[in-house]
Amino acid sequence: MSALRRIFAGMASRHGLGVAFFVAGAVLVWIFVLIVLPQVAMLDFSLRHNLPRSEIGGPRDVYTLDNYRYFLFGSGSGLNTLDMGVLVKTFAAAAFVTLIDIVICYPIAFILAHSATGVGARLMIVGLIVPFWINDILRAFAFRVLFGATGVVNGIGQALGLWDTPVDFIRADVALYSALAYTYVLMMVFSIYGAVETLDRNQIEAARDMGASWWRVHWRVVLPVAKPGIASGATMVFMLTAGALAAPQILGGPSNLWFTQLIYQWFNDAGDWQRGAAYSTILLIACLIFVFLTMRVFRVSIGAIGK
Amino acid sequence: MNRAIGGGLFSLGYALLFFLFLFGPLIIMVITAFNSSAFPRIVPWECFTTDWFGVLFANQRLMTGLWASLWIGFAVVALSVPLGLAGALALSDLGPKARAALYGTLITPILIPGVVIGISTIVFWGAVARGVGAGYDSPFFNGIFLTLLGQVSFIASYTMLIFISRLQRFDPLLTEAALDLGATPGQAFRRILLPFMKPAIGSAAFIAFLASFENYNTTVFTILSGNTFTTALASKVRLGTDPSLSALAVIIIALTLIGAMVREAHARRGERLRRSGPSGLYASPLTRTLVHPATIFVALAGFAAFLAWQGSRHDASVCRANILREKQEMQERLLREQQERMHRLQQQAPAAAAPQAPGNNPSPFGGAFNPNTLAPPASTIPAPAAPPPASANPSPFGGAFAPGSLAPKQ
Repeated sequence: MSALRRIFAGMASRHGLGVAFFVAGAVLVWIFVLIVLPQVAMLDFSLRHNLPRSEIGGPRDVYTLDNYRYFLFGSGSGLNTLDMGVLVKTFAAAAFVTLIDIVICYPIAFILAHSATGVGARLMIVGLIVPFWINDILRAFAFRVLFGATGVVNGIGQALGLWDTPVDFIRADVALYSALAYTYVLMMVFSIYGAVETLDRNQIEAARDMGASWWRVHWRVVLPVAKPGIASGATMVFMLTAGALAAPQILGGPSNLWFTQLIYQWFNDAGDWQRGAAYSTILLIACLIFVFLTMRVFRVSIGAIGK
Repeated sequence: MNRAIGGGLFSLGYALLFFLFLFGPLIIMVITAFNSSAFPRIVPWECFTTDWFGVLFANQRLMTGLWASLWIGFAVVALSVPLGLAGALALSDLGPKARAALYGTLITPILIPGVVIGISTIVFWGAVARGVGAGYDSPFFNGIFLTLLGQVSFIASYTMLIFISRLQRFDPLLTEAALDLGATPGQAFRRILLPFMKPAIGSAAFIAFLASFENYNTTVFTILSGNTFTTALASKVRLGTDPSLSALAVIIIALTLIGAMVREAHARRGERLRRSGPSGLYASPLTRTLVHPATIFVALAGFAAFLAWQGSRHDASVCRANILREKQEMQERLLREQQERMHRLQQQAPAAAAPQAPGNNPSPFGGAFNPNTLAPPASTIPAPAAPPPASANPSPFGGAFAPGSLAPKQ
């Protein structure tokens, strides 16, 4: 408490009392009203029964673990393999998309940081940002046009004689994974770029002079420097992919669900907000656990994210 | 040396492939906006048309959603920029440990899935409304109000990141100097720090607006029964696609490109004037005016307006009518051939009516699908592309002209 008061006094003496009050008030409102309390409310809500409005606060409105039990065991006996399977599949797919992004973005980030100069580098940055400005929904739409049965990919493949009948890329989730990887390319490139840029070019030259092959240079010199950038980019891409809703809704195959779609269904189709809240709490906790584990494994602090 | 050249070629090739991946889908989408085919595609090309832009602007749901999105966007900017600035200022004054904790807290909204933010926002404000006894007409059940709060909670984190990176380049000695020279702390803040942050405020406002406008995951929950532009767009895409969405993409891409070019001109001008003073292009008043960002903006905007005007005068009805007639003739011919075939089949074996079963097998037309003679027009047949002929003689073909059964076969 005294530490907080000291910080407040320091800020008041440097920027004035008005600024200090503004900063303190804004940060407190932001943290509590916009971040913490809503999550607490959601947790509380997820522990309740789905009651008609007149019974809320009545004698039947008691805490229950029913909604979480449903996720684990379903309505009958035995495990709810369907919903748990969707969660596992979502995470596996998100990890896969993240991996694709690392692989395709690392070379671009390296080129941007160490090979491109002047106009070329500027063009590359503009070229990276422009697709990012297109609406999420339109991006998904573009991939539907691209991968549809009469789409361009099928057209080219059939014209080249690679396959005869149109391949159903949507059902095979190829369209979905490509669109997700496409969407978060920018974040990954800039994360890795920020890390690789700090590398002294002389180190690469030195390694080359010592006779290291190009992949050895990357493995031993560039990658260690790029690691924090890769980790922070991977964290963001993973979280965004696991939490994506629009792309799976538009591009998801008929038999494949994303976990966010399950939440959406509980809310909008089934009208069971409590269970939806429970499912979104599960998603939140699973994501946070996954991210903290990744950070532990790669020894990256949360301060590195968003740089 | 050899290896350096090989590396250069490799990186050039890789960069080209990479940007092909980035721009390919956009280019294809842009092209489909001008094809009159009712399903967004390039092949088969039917007519060059600009009608899809008209279809887009006539979509009432999208247009009302657009207004809601603009309102929400400006309100989000007005709230998230001050919040982000406050967060960045607070972080700059903390010790390393407290700083890491606060940074971790303020950055989590970016990491939390948008769906979770949306749900927690409506649940929390619903609970608040119950607490104060507010009814359904109170702001707590207003989709725009909830969307605003939900979006601000994480967009403020984006703006904060921008302010942090700008603050890192701020020299605190400037404030010290102002204080030493007798300025009050408030004056120093307004006259030194705030002007220094001005460019960051501009870009933070821009990013905040874009993020708000584009957001779907949070908004689809918090908007309740209403619509923003993006949620209206999403429900349109989920229900079915038509090239008016491509037309929208054309507009957005054009705006983006104009913005990027003006910004580039602005950046280059600033850099050149700083580095070498008014020389080269910037020496003579005429060329200096020509490469001024405002001139470039006016020229590009004028060019776009001219293209839009020309496009609005373009009339594809003749070409469309031709395509329609071709399709009708095609269908009539197919009908005749089918009737002949049915006739033959009935003569041979009366029980062989099976091929008529809808969607069973697209081959009852026999030689009609000989790829050499008929393939290109046959692929234009799918029902959605030709509603008038389908309604003129809908029944003889049964379901055989359903898009699913014919289109993939080409």
